[in-house]
Amino acid sequence: MSDLDKAIAQLRACRPIPEAQVRELCHKARELLIEEGNVVTVTAPVTICGDIHGQFHDLMELFRVGGDPPDTNYLFMGDFVDRGFYSLESFLLLLCLKVRYPDRMTLIRGNHESRQITTVYGFYDECLRKYGSANVWRYCCDVFDYLALGAIVLNASNTLSPPNEMTPSEEYTQQDIEIEVCNADGDIMSRFTRRNSDQSIDREQKSPNGTQPKTGPPGSGASGSSGGTIGNPTGAVLCVHGGLSPLIDTVDKIRLLDRKQEVPHEGAMCDLLWSDPDEIDGWGLSPRGAGFLFGADIVKVFNHKNDLSLIARAHQLVMEGFKEMFDASIVTVWSAPNYCYRCGNVAAVLELSEDPTGETFFARSNGDVGRSDGGIEGVMMESEKRLKNGPARRYRVFQAAPQDSRGMPAKKPVADYFL
Amino acid sequence: MSAPSIPNLLSLRGSRGGHRGRGRGRGGHSHSAGLSHDATIQGTDTDAAVSRMSAVDLGYLQDPFAQYFVQSVGGNVRRLPIINRGTYTRTTALDRLISSFLSGTASQERQIISLGAGTDTRCFKLFSQPSHAGLIYHEIDFPAIASKKLQLVNATPQLRSIVPNPQNEKDGWSSSNLPNGCQYWCHGLDLRALLNSSIESLSGIRTDVPTVLVSECCLCYLETSEAQGVIKFFTEKIPNLALIVYEPIHPNDSFGKQMVSNLAARRIHMPTLDSYQDSTKQQSRLKEAGFELATSLTIRDVWRKWVTEEEKERVDSLEGLDEVEEWNLLADHYIVAWGWRGNGFQRWEADL
Repeated sequence: MSDLDKAIAQLRACRPIPEAQVRELCHKARELLIEEGNVVTVTAPVTICGDIHGQFHDLMELFRVGGDPPDTNYLFMGDFVDRGFYSLESFLLLLCLKVRYPDRMTLIRGNHESRQITTVYGFYDECLRKYGSANVWRYCCDVFDYLALGAIVLNASNTLSPPNEMTPSEEYTQQDIEIEVCNADGDIMSRFTRRNSDQSIDREQKSPNGTQPKTGPPGSGASGSSGGTIGNPTGAVLCVHGGLSPLIDTVDKIRLLDRKQEVPHEGAMCDLLWSDPDEIDGWGLSPRGAGFLFGADIVKVFNHKNDLSLIARAHQLVMEGFKEMFDASIVTVWSAPNYCYRCGNVAAVLELSEDPTGETFFARSNGDVGRSDGGIEGVMMESEKRLKNGPARRYRVFQAAPQDSRGMPAKKPVADYFL
Repeated sequence: MSAPSIPNLLSLRGSRGGHRGRGRGRGGHSHSAGLSHDATIQGTDTDAAVSRMSAVDLGYLQDPFAQYFVQSVGGNVRRLPIINRGTYTRTTALDRLISSFLSGTASQERQIISLGAGTDTRCFKLFSQPSHAGLIYHEIDFPAIASKKLQLVNATPQLRSIVPNPQNEKDGWSSSNLPNGCQYWCHGLDLRALLNSSIESLSGIRTDVPTVLVSECCLCYLETSEAQGVIKFFTEKIPNLALIVYEPIHPNDSFGKQMVSNLAARRIHMPTLDSYQDSTKQQSRLKEAGFELATSLTIRDVWRKWVTEEEKERVDSLEGLDEVEEWNLLADHYIVAWGWRGNGFQRWEADL
């Protein structure tokens, strides 16, 4: 067993590894991450995860529900640390897995992967408590600076692979299932097929996670009115922690940023990690004091211009674990169940299946290549080729791990209230 | 890098309170097993005092008296930004209602009765302002808390100068010769004892002046019938009366269920929470208790409607708040409800 495998085993038991080993791990991770672009290319199948926030036992539950790495490819969209009691173990485990299985683990940066935020929200305190000095916190922060800012998922199929061996794959191709929601045991809770627009009203009443009708049920518009058919290549999926930036109109512009720094207070890099979609037109000020709010029009233009069918992002607590917005052009994935031991929410991961034909792998451009209409008119017109067909999506929804799960003692949480 | 040199979330604003160490817990409520529910509830007062101190330290609130009510061995506890904002918003709501009551009753005698006041500093803040002439301020809390407050006043010159020459009373202590005709009365008794006694049992209580009863997370710890009885104790005798309650709501959604279970893990139970689950039920509770007019705002509403844009900007700049969704959830689960009848509350009516 290599040292790395030993470290993985130790961290899986929620035991921190020695400082010297952290230093070595962070050094290796940096060497690996420095080679990655600002936007990492990932090929499906992949399981996309949102915020973890140091909820180590829930991360173990996530691996149980989503499949153990490296058997399952994972893409974590940042916010590994802060708030929970086990930021250190959670982040170091993910980092070990990244170093051990670099092609099967993708980690991108969240707004909490920052020196400033971690001093306020717990990770700094935790490192100090567990090691008696800030060295480990510093090593980790140095790694944060090298994390990619986003990822592009290619070759995602618009047909799901069966979730288990009992379910025949024909079900998915024949019924043209676009969205499937499974519980933690892999039981299918609900399914949504691609339908034409006159059926979409019916769908609206059956939004898979009961989100408000005004935000639109998953997939209601984009797939419906685009007239997508089985076998059409899907567009790529952009994964980013927060969202879009008014300074970024193409994915290629993200690639040009100088990311190897502390998250700035403003600018494109800050926006990608801090912004939120909202029911507004255009851009708005963010209540978080960093990043922006952006509306459906912004997402649709961006997706069209960049050949994207979907933006997957994290950053916002959603009580049902995931929330699709703007005709399924953007989805929030949240992977910290009962966030802060207080919020009572469930968590989710998003599975994208591999397109066995490989068609979608090549049919892509992330710039404005081949776009003569410049975006806006094309998107706003009700045309056949309006937006790319979204990939089929499976959400696995799970709850917080039981307190004494798998024999690992968990610190008894104390959540503050106004008393 | 030593702790004080680490940038704050909003380091551009300059570092505030370098004396505040980091790495201390956010707790402040470790109760050993075996304490009675009453003792646990008294412990929530420590919790509130610690939260208030955190909010004062960070500049959310100005309260020169907060420091005397926390034991800060090795520095103060720093609460999370949403808790600080909650403390700020709740204080803002109560301050606004009380100050509008006081300015509407200026140049006459008026009375505030704070239930389960604990270590509340409001009376000290009000008495130190000369504009509040004629204010009769009562606090009612467990005997242990009332005598602790007396000890603290005796031992702290800054507090003693506000309420000088404390006198023993049959049910606590008082300082009834304050400047401007103000009086302070501190009653050490279990609120449930009021259910079987007459208004005369409370020293210094006036029934002939406009009176505001305040329950900041107090009545919610009683059984519903007891809470109703306590309110009735006052409504039966005082014609010009208002009640302000601040307490949690919505125990049955997923956040609320988790809240109830987390509080239960700290052995805190709020029996009235089931009876008054939302703003409608809170308001009808007030009307049923005999208040002619009643209204309410959630803490989230208070932040949105009662905190000016300028003040929001100031508060936002203190720490930054990344926990927007969590704030919305938490702040939706607390309500300020107030009802009134008779004279002295015209300004509240105008605000409706």
